[in-house]
Amino acid sequence: MTRVRVTAPQSAARPVLESRGSAEESDVGQVFVRSLIRSQLRLALVVAAGFLLILLAFPLMLGLAPGLADVRIAGIPFGWLLLGAGIYPVIGLSAWLYIRAANRNEARYRDLAEDR
Amino acid sequence: MNPVVGIAAFVAVSVATAVVGFYGLRISRTTGDFYVASRTVRPWWNASAIGGEYLSAASFLGVAGLILLSGTDALWFPIGYTAGYLMLLLFVAAPLRRSGAYTIPDFTEVRLDSRAVRRVTSLVVVVVGWLYIVPQLHGAALTIRITTGLPSWVGSVAVVIVVCLTVVAGGMRSITFVQAFQYWLKLTALAVPIIFIVLMLAGNGAQAVAEAGTNPTGLAPTGPYQNISLLVALLFGTLGLPHVLVRFYTNPDGQSARRTTLIVLGLLSVFYLFPTAYGLAGRMFAPGLAQSARPDALVLLLPGRLVGGPAGEMLSALVVAGAFAAFLSTTSGLVVSLAGVISQDVLGGSVRGFRLAALISATVPLGFAFMTDSLALAGSVGLVFAFTASTICPALLLGIWWRGLTDAGAIAGMLTGGLLCGGALVAGALTGPAASGTAMPQWLAQPAAWTVPAAFAVMVLVSRATKDRVPRTLTKVMTRLHTPERPLATER
Repeated sequence: MTRVRVTAPQSAARPVLESRGSAEESDVGQVFVRSLIRSQLRLALVVAAGFLLILLAFPLMLGLAPGLADVRIAGIPFGWLLLGAGIYPVIGLSAWLYIRAANRNEARYRDLAEDR
Repeated sequence: MNPVVGIAAFVAVSVATAVVGFYGLRISRTTGDFYVASRTVRPWWNASAIGGEYLSAASFLGVAGLILLSGTDALWFPIGYTAGYLMLLLFVAAPLRRSGAYTIPDFTEVRLDSRAVRRVTSLVVVVVGWLYIVPQLHGAALTIRITTGLPSWVGSVAVVIVVCLTVVAGGMRSITFVQAFQYWLKLTALAVPIIFIVLMLAGNGAQAVAEAGTNPTGLAPTGPYQNISLLVALLFGTLGLPHVLVRFYTNPDGQSARRTTLIVLGLLSVFYLFPTAYGLAGRMFAPGLAQSARPDALVLLLPGRLVGGPAGEMLSALVVAGAFAAFLSTTSGLVVSLAGVISQDVLGGSVRGFRLAALISATVPLGFAFMTDSLALAGSVGLVFAFTASTICPALLLGIWWRGLTDAGAIAGMLTGGLLCGGALVAGALTGPAASGTAMPQWLAQPAAWTVPAAFAVMVLVSRATKDRVPRTLTKVMTRLHTPERPLATER
């Protein structure tokens, strides 16, 4: 059994920039690229802001309704359930929505860039 | 605890890691070219591997220990560790994969077309890696001392030796398989004992000895500033961790990089339920552990304390094995990525250079670990996140989304953030509770809330002042970062 050692090629220090064809050469192509970047950034910022607002709302809710944190569900205080388990579905849902929208943005770009 | 349990668990994990590594090597050999193989890794495997590398001593031991000490305030740690991946997904995952860069220094060099930026980034990456390895070794020292009664240094040295052997032998290099196995091992090692404990307590109808809300020690609760600053560190720190980013290259394209991150989020969400359960169970049924032993040992001691007997010993062995899996996987992941950076930038990129660099990467933090006293594990890892968030994160975010970034701006920003945050860490260590007996000021204990904005501000201002240095390759690079691969999903 021989072992083949695989090392990074010397060029790995500078990954080659593959061309993405007409998109980067023509002015029209660049218009599409810029609008894609803008819409992806806007999407990311909206999702991040929405998530942070919900995250902030959780402790505020516990702080404003003093009895709420101590309500017990199956022996576990509600405050613990909310912060210890309740936030994770929100994170997952935000990620899922973002991915759907980001892929849609890219599909739209592809249609525009390839229709010409 | 029976010392044989601890030693047996450590040996079993090391052997299992070696066996899985060998099996994984054979698989990657059959697919021919290693790079081709690495690009066809399925998202599930890749996500498990990211989880395996990411869940360190801080997650496995530290989170439960902090929850025992500070209650719901400490729940922000697992939330931040997980939500950091959401930020990584939103702002970094797909563009970083599309950049074609293997490491963070590769990325900054390509984006800004400058060797100087590469060197500064490499320096920062090495500092981050070393700072991150130290708490892993502290965790190993604690585990060995608690479980076997041997002196602490044995634990750190044993982890460094196993990591050096596997990395230098090539067994751990880029083997997605081993890291993926470690994730599932860690999850099992945490989940089985706590589920057993909960079922047993429910069956006995045991009464809690303390309320979940009462603090077992006289520790003051953290204020809103500290919680917010911690969240800033964790949310922005994750997207600059060198050993995590290197894994994104094994995705075939940008869209699968996103899919992988979504699975990682699921895996982390499930995992963090268990340290939280340990912390809560510790508060309600064994609050004495907060005073008697180190709180970080809660996860290790709880099964023995609440179950006892041979069943307790078996469960303890499982937890100890999981803990060592955490130290080994995170440390080897960091050593591999550090060795890659050091050997390419300092030693010329040869195989001998890689091995030498791996030895350096593992032994320098061992020295740090001996010199420093371990703080709470989750806390000291949180400070590493603050450092990453103040240095690598602004360079990545602005590099990906802002055309105006220049090499001078990136260097100035990274140095500013590094000096401010590093200075706060050093000052905190010198004037902290251990040195002066008083609590340190909050802005020093948790610096991210001001060092991260400072780094961003300096990066933007200096880039504005050096507009003529915007690289000529800008259009090409930005197009590559953000446009989907052609043809669909397969490159080349």
